[in-house]
Amino acid sequence: SRVPQAFPLPSLPRKQPTVLVVCGPAQNGAIGLVCARHLRSFDYEPTIFYPKRSPDPLYRDFTTQCEKMDIPFLSYLPTEVSPASPPHSLPDSTEFIPPFSLPFPPRARSRLRWEPGDAMKSSGGCRGPASHRLWWDVPPGVTPSRCVPAGWDAEAGGSGGISPDVLVSLAAPKECARRFLGRQHFVAGRFLPYDVQKKFELNPPEYPGTECVVAL
Amino acid sequence: QEEAQAIDQELFTEYKFSVDQLMELAGLSCATAIAKAYPPSSFTTSQPAVLVVCGPGNNGGDGLVCARHLKMFGYLPTVYYPKRPSKPLFEGLTTQCEKMDIPFLPEFPTEAAFIDELYGLVVDAIFGFSFKGAVREPFGSILSTLERVTVPIASIDIPSGWDVEKGKADGLQPDMLISLTAPKKAATHFAGRYHFLGGRFVPPALQEKYALNLPAYPGTDCVLQLT
Repeated sequence: SRVPQAFPLPSLPRKQPTVLVVCGPAQNGAIGLVCARHLRSFDYEPTIFYPKRSPDPLYRDFTTQCEKMDIPFLSYLPTEVSPASPPHSLPDSTEFIPPFSLPFPPRARSRLRWEPGDAMKSSGGCRGPASHRLWWDVPPGVTPSRCVPAGWDAEAGGSGGISPDVLVSLAAPKECARRFLGRQHFVAGRFLPYDVQKKFELNPPEYPGTECVVAL
Repeated sequence: QEEAQAIDQELFTEYKFSVDQLMELAGLSCATAIAKAYPPSSFTTSQPAVLVVCGPGNNGGDGLVCARHLKMFGYLPTVYYPKRPSKPLFEGLTTQCEKMDIPFLPEFPTEAAFIDELYGLVVDAIFGFSFKGAVREPFGSILSTLERVTVPIASIDIPSGWDVEKGKADGLQPDMLISLTAPKKAATHFAGRYHFLGGRFVPPALQEKYALNLPAYPGTDCVLQLT
């Protein structure tokens, strides 16, 4: 069975170790669970929102592992956005967005830069160094045409939707990653065997030392 | 030894970790520790060739994972895996190595001198913390050959053939020990240059329950150098 290597980035600022991990219903969300567990062992304080849980036994075990690591699971996402709050009162948000539409009503997402409403708009409400967004991409072996950002087209990207600060492409960047405008783009694909890399002409960059992520 | 087994059991039954997950993290730790202590540039052989000797159980599985990551880190591992459990986990790990063009030797080098000539490092992934009793062939002869090897040996979790608590004064003397999860009692008898801790997956609650008193890992590293 597949064991995703989902080590989080070493570059996230440590001033404020609280992290919100929003997990979707499929594999992307499961990778989020693994990441949350590792963040916890790196002394971050993750909290998970996982509204639609997969029945897959592997993913259910990931959930148990997180629970037993004392990682809280939110029962709902707060609806209030507070742009007037000082940056230090907002948590760092690390989001793991499913590759398709949101699993819950858009109005519930307003804490994370959404405006309430059906359209997903990037409102830029949370400013300052306290907010960082990180996205996991879906590895090509599973759903090759999917891209992370809800509202983004897999190939064309999207002008609406979330604007993450950091993107972590798994295996290899997807077409839509060209539209990524945030601060840092990492690729995490060191586990790919050489013949797979060659077959799909992935041409990955050199990974430094024993690191499993490389900044692009 | 019992405590180590109890921790393992709890990780699987209470925490619902799969053997695959923990083995992958353990093997990655081993490869990472090796890369820190013996970078490819430090090898006296013309290529950074490594011989990975895998035993019949989970320690062997850790070795297979380690070999695969060593390949990705730029080493040239070769595996010797004489007794393979017919379980999907081990069959899968073997296939993963084969598909990474990691050769599997059909027989073990007969002389320690051959190993010294061909390889700059040997990874001992033969027996782990569950080892008890007499050493069965072919591992008896393998261990006697390894005891005469002069290139460094890195042992995974327990130097093979050692008593898990008391060690073995006339047994294998590895240059490196990678203790997984927590050092075992036998580690007090370890006299090599490098002792690393690996297997950064023990939940805080479990660390407390067993009073492991593990030192802090640096940053996001999956290994910690103890000596």
